[in-house]
Amino acid sequence: MKDSDRKLYRAKIVDDYVRGRMSRRSFLRNASALGLGAGVLGTGMMRPTPTFAQNALEPSKEVLDWVREVSKPFSGTTLRLATESTPPSNAINSQLKKYFEEASGMTVEIETLPLEQVLQKLTLDIASQLGTYDLYYIDQSWAASVSRDVFDPREQIANNPDLAMPNYNIDDFMPALVDGIAKYEDRWVGVPYDIPIFIMQYRKDIYDKMGFGAPETLEEYYEQAKAITDENGPNLYGATGQMKSGHYSLECDWTAWLWGHGGSIFGPDGKFTGNDERGLEAMEYWTRLAQTMPPGVNGWTWDGEGQSVAQGVAASMMSWGEFFPYFDDPSATKVSGLMAAARCPKPKNPLRTVTETGYGEIPGVGHQGGSSLAVSRNSKNPDAAWIFMQWATCYDTQVLITALGGGTGPTRDSVYNDERIKANARVGAGTTRHLDVVRETIALDMGSEPDLPQWAELSNDTIPVRLGKYFAGEYASAKEAMDDIAQAVDKVVSG
Amino acid sequence: MMVRSKSSRMVRTIVGWAVVALFAFPLYYWMTVAFKEGNEIFNWPPKVWSFTPTIKNFEEVFGISFGFGFGEQREVLPGGGNFRMGPRLWDSIVIAILSTALAITIATLASYALSRMNFRGRHHFVSWVLSTRMMPPVAVAIPIFFIYKDIGLLDTYTGVILIHALMNLPLAVLLMKSFFDDIPGEIDESALVDGASRWLIFRRIVLPMVKGGIAATAVLCFIFSWTEFLFVLTLTQTGLKTVPVVSSTFVTSTGTAWGSMAALGAAAMIPAFIFILLVQKHLVRGLTLGSVKQ
Repeated sequence: MKDSDRKLYRAKIVDDYVRGRMSRRSFLRNASALGLGAGVLGTGMMRPTPTFAQNALEPSKEVLDWVREVSKPFSGTTLRLATESTPPSNAINSQLKKYFEEASGMTVEIETLPLEQVLQKLTLDIASQLGTYDLYYIDQSWAASVSRDVFDPREQIANNPDLAMPNYNIDDFMPALVDGIAKYEDRWVGVPYDIPIFIMQYRKDIYDKMGFGAPETLEEYYEQAKAITDENGPNLYGATGQMKSGHYSLECDWTAWLWGHGGSIFGPDGKFTGNDERGLEAMEYWTRLAQTMPPGVNGWTWDGEGQSVAQGVAASMMSWGEFFPYFDDPSATKVSGLMAAARCPKPKNPLRTVTETGYGEIPGVGHQGGSSLAVSRNSKNPDAAWIFMQWATCYDTQVLITALGGGTGPTRDSVYNDERIKANARVGAGTTRHLDVVRETIALDMGSEPDLPQWAELSNDTIPVRLGKYFAGEYASAKEAMDDIAQAVDKVVSG
Repeated sequence: MMVRSKSSRMVRTIVGWAVVALFAFPLYYWMTVAFKEGNEIFNWPPKVWSFTPTIKNFEEVFGISFGFGFGEQREVLPGGGNFRMGPRLWDSIVIAILSTALAITIATLASYALSRMNFRGRHHFVSWVLSTRMMPPVAVAIPIFFIYKDIGLLDTYTGVILIHALMNLPLAVLLMKSFFDDIPGEIDESALVDGASRWLIFRRIVLPMVKGGIAATAVLCFIFSWTEFLFVLTLTQTGLKTVPVVSSTFVTSTGTAWGSMAALGAAAMIPAFIFILLVQKHLVRGLTLGSVKQ
């Protein structure tokens, strides 16, 4: 057995034993097979208590020693962050920040809010230059708007070598994510913090029963969805969506189909191109696919979409991968262990290149909705905030976030290889068994929205309001709807 | 004749119960959500009566492990995260009670003056009070944010109590004025003739007569403060939060934690219910005060 396999297997049997899925006898037998005594595993003859399990997921001593040392001048400082309630933020807030606070002597106040409210708080803070928040949670669609209001982390490393975390390794952040989430023009708008991304999630049991495999193409996906709906509706539908009129989620779905048909939001001249031939082809496909979705889909954001799969109403969704660990939670859903993850179906037409689009838009079926974490230029404690930011986004903390909270994919490449993450690749709440697909999607299929200061308005209002009207039947045709969107978008962009 | 009377009474009873059920059922259903596991909340058809009750949602929301004292949750919950809502419930109680007390105190004094005293521009004053109610709160939320930041009231009890009292004042003044108007002025005049001061008349004679009105107004003010969202969202950060605002934190990037939200909502009904129960004796009197003109 290779050493890496041995380590992985050891982690797995410890995990199974800790969670009560393996008897003491089996555990000791397996441990012996690995040539390890129980003492080596640190278990003695007793089942490890949950505390032991938790201790195995505590921050490394080296990291905390660095925090302790570098934070001395900032002891007593209070840092504030407003963030969406995401798996990383929840993990830091509820489980991990206590270690940072203990070591640094600082207090970290994290305000968790729905995404729209985070934008409101952030906008108010920037407009007033009050520095109410020391750190900003920045959705990728706001990156351009706030790029001048936060520090570029590369500058922070260069300008404050004394405060730089040893082995922080900023190059470990996945380049595709840096490009898609944290970069605007030549600046880094913080570092990638989380990465919800569209992957294919489907009911393996139903697909097997129907004789389907994971869809390879968009057209195959539609055919499968239609067949499932025709055979099982209204109890079960083939596909689902996040199509709430006027909500950002609707725009997210649209871009996936648009890019998947070889279209783009903008052309190189900066004009809206969603109403061109490929754009209309995407609308025609989306309109057909919507017929295979449960009634009420027009009122759902990602919440309703996820619930429809979790409660067994829909058999698949091409959507946010961070739902996958939730689907595997037997206490919360009816589909635990029944879901499989795959890369999104291949685009129907060749993807446009970045040079064929505008404002740095990156076409790809795997729509990403990641966010970055950055220190505000208005912060009264930028150095203290920078220390926290490095700790919150370093390798060690990302491993703990992913292992504890599950859900979102790590933004550092090396974290995907960590044994503790791989050991969690089993059925159950907080599983990481979908992360290989997430990693592949980031590398091969990722689509990113354009970067322009008006994008927050366009993506949260201008486009989804009109798309909602289209699905409510207020336009005579998709062409009319897209032409109207084109007119409205170009007006906003031209100011 | 007798038969018709019996049947009409029965119809009335049935309709009465139907109306009660119409109002009570959503509350009942919301309560059941608080006691359901996540995988039972969205059952179709819904499990209205038969489900396996659990107190897990309350444990998660309040960080209390029933039967084991205060527990520390050791895992991050998918779709939610860990919540400690006890202090937030306390924030709501403090803010609602104190802002109601402040609004009622000011409104009672102001409305007595408007009802009994003649001064220049009295009627214009009443119209002006009413006009402040026409202002959309969202129009003032941001300017008030800046003012509060400058004077240090951001994220403080005082700040939120003041703004809630301010928003309640117009309604409270107008309501209380109508209650005072229903007390005959002759009572004040008789007392004045007997040598009582204005303050004494107000405190000893008129105020006890409008106790019901005060209770009704206080309930309305309390409910407004208890459910207000915009100002608390804008004027607070991490220091304090009321239940409506903190409920929105259950809307996460991986879905809404409905069980947790229902548990908090169910718990939040209790203080409001107790408050209304305490003033109930006066409430009916207040709501009917002035309904019959002599």
